[in-house]
Amino acid sequence: MTRRILAFVSLIFLASLAPLTAQIGETNNTVVVITSDASNYVLHAGGTVAKMIEDGMEGILIRIGNDEKDSWDLSPEETALRTKQESEAAAKILGINKVISLGFRSSDFRDVPFTTMRDRLAHYIRVHKPRVLFIPNAHTQYDRNHDRYYGGRAAEDAWRAAAFKNYLPAMKDVNLGAHVTPEVYYFAPLVDPARREPESTGTFVPQPKMTDISGTLEKKIKAAQALKTINRSVAMRLKQRLDSTDRRLPLLDRVDEASISKLVEQRVRGLARLSAEGTDFQAAEEFRFAGVEFRIPASYR
Amino acid sequence: MNRLTFAIVLLGMCGVLSAADLPLVDPPPGKVLLVAQPHHDDHTTDYGLAGVILRFIADGYKAYYVRGTNDEKDGRLGFPRNDMMNLKETYDALRILGMEDHVINLNWRNNFETSYALNDQREQLIFLVRKYKPDAVAGHNAWEHYQKNPGHRNLSWNYEEAYWLAGYRNVHPEHFEMGVGPHETYHYFGKARLDWGRGHRPNVILEMTEEQVKVKEKAIHAHQHVYANPGGARSTRTRLALQGLYLPELEDVDDDTTAGNMMIEWNMNWISRRWGKEANVKYGEDYYYMGEFYHLPGLKEFLDKNVEAK
Repeated sequence: MTRRILAFVSLIFLASLAPLTAQIGETNNTVVVITSDASNYVLHAGGTVAKMIEDGMEGILIRIGNDEKDSWDLSPEETALRTKQESEAAAKILGINKVISLGFRSSDFRDVPFTTMRDRLAHYIRVHKPRVLFIPNAHTQYDRNHDRYYGGRAAEDAWRAAAFKNYLPAMKDVNLGAHVTPEVYYFAPLVDPARREPESTGTFVPQPKMTDISGTLEKKIKAAQALKTINRSVAMRLKQRLDSTDRRLPLLDRVDEASISKLVEQRVRGLARLSAEGTDFQAAEEFRFAGVEFRIPASYR
Repeated sequence: MNRLTFAIVLLGMCGVLSAADLPLVDPPPGKVLLVAQPHHDDHTTDYGLAGVILRFIADGYKAYYVRGTNDEKDGRLGFPRNDMMNLKETYDALRILGMEDHVINLNWRNNFETSYALNDQREQLIFLVRKYKPDAVAGHNAWEHYQKNPGHRNLSWNYEEAYWLAGYRNVHPEHFEMGVGPHETYHYFGKARLDWGRGHRPNVILEMTEEQVKVKEKAIHAHQHVYANPGGARSTRTRLALQGLYLPELEDVDDDTTAGNMMIEWNMNWISRRWGKEANVKYGEDYYYMGEFYHLPGLKEFLDKNVEAK
């Protein structure tokens, strides 16, 4: 009896939201990926995104930051330009056919007004009406790159704001109405020791989800290798650290395109192995996932 | 449930939730430790960093202290005098700990941290990392949950980015006009109050000697302006007396301020024993430690296998 009453109350509640939200049915077969920096989504979601595109979805990438800081010996302007071009090349390898660069200054997100970032993202969500969103996980811990926290918060709120008609009302005049994205994947570097712990129940709380990327791992490696400016920065910093502590990595005795590519391959394969731990997969990626269970408990469906 | 039963249940739960058999770590090789915290006493409170500071100094490090705020709210002398007294006592405590006799005061307004531009304070910390070139840094753990003090929250948040961004040439290149160069630090020791939530789960313990614990107890005394607590000693005695109990250690102590200081020492000793137990040693301090390549988890196995000494 109690269960029936709860179900009835929930239906009334959901029905009351109907005038405020769009219909879930108005989606395109599109996956929109939002990333704070060029490498984060490739390293931690690239295989899954590539798989979805191989299965017939259209892919769109939104870069929030301009990546101007992450190079070894280039000016901010040159770094931003090269990384934009390399991001487009990496996205193309994954099958993404459109890259939108918002151009916020990287490593300085913390003082950007929150709604400025959120509303630009919400705009693109309404334009492209995706079925699936990938966003940086603002709830992960120990990711020392805080752009991912601020970008993730803005993206998460943009997902929600895009679904309510009373946000960005001016867009109604150009027929950009509200859009509910039914599935959201939160991605993050594998540094949070609690990243696989479920939080609460699946309702209203994204849960851990592992995906098999064995079929797209090679594509992911190639995409990661395309980010040449960032990869050189990682390799040179690693070499500098080892040199300063009288150690060496034979692979980096000579830092060139071939050695950097090999290092990137090791990194991507290492991440895939880490995420596959505890699963039946050979290569995996791990997420927090908000799907239908997130919105409507199984017992009410 | 009466208070005593509740406290016992709570302590039992803490035992279940806390980490067990944490690994002991030693200070990494190096010369400079840069501790950055918002307040005059953060380095010496019961949940402070005195143990790590003493261990690093014992290993030959120079340790510097960055005091983020002016501490104007902490004390009973009014804003300007609170600032001055707390600064004096910061120096007193640093000398007891054996840190460098030089407080780097950022002078941000105490407990107004939520509203200021985060990049401004982070820029100052980046500059200090470039100037002092620390091999290791220490402060609050930025990921602690339920941390309600905005100073602890924001300074650690800024420091967690500053210590590695300082190594990037495109971050504040104007600093290079002032005679400093890029410098990246590779060891972060983060401290927090575990019982405020589950965000901070320590992953290492630094062992302390009995002598170091004594120094830690003495260092906290330096902050008499805010820690002298004769009323606490009086009320403890009164409450015990109401139950027909007394503390033998306080029987011959007439001065309540001295008695209050003894109680602070007991607390400092207790917290050092409490964390020592987690690594099966007598005394310890707990940290969330982020090592030199923790941000490259995909390369860990490869580096472990292939990095070699020159």
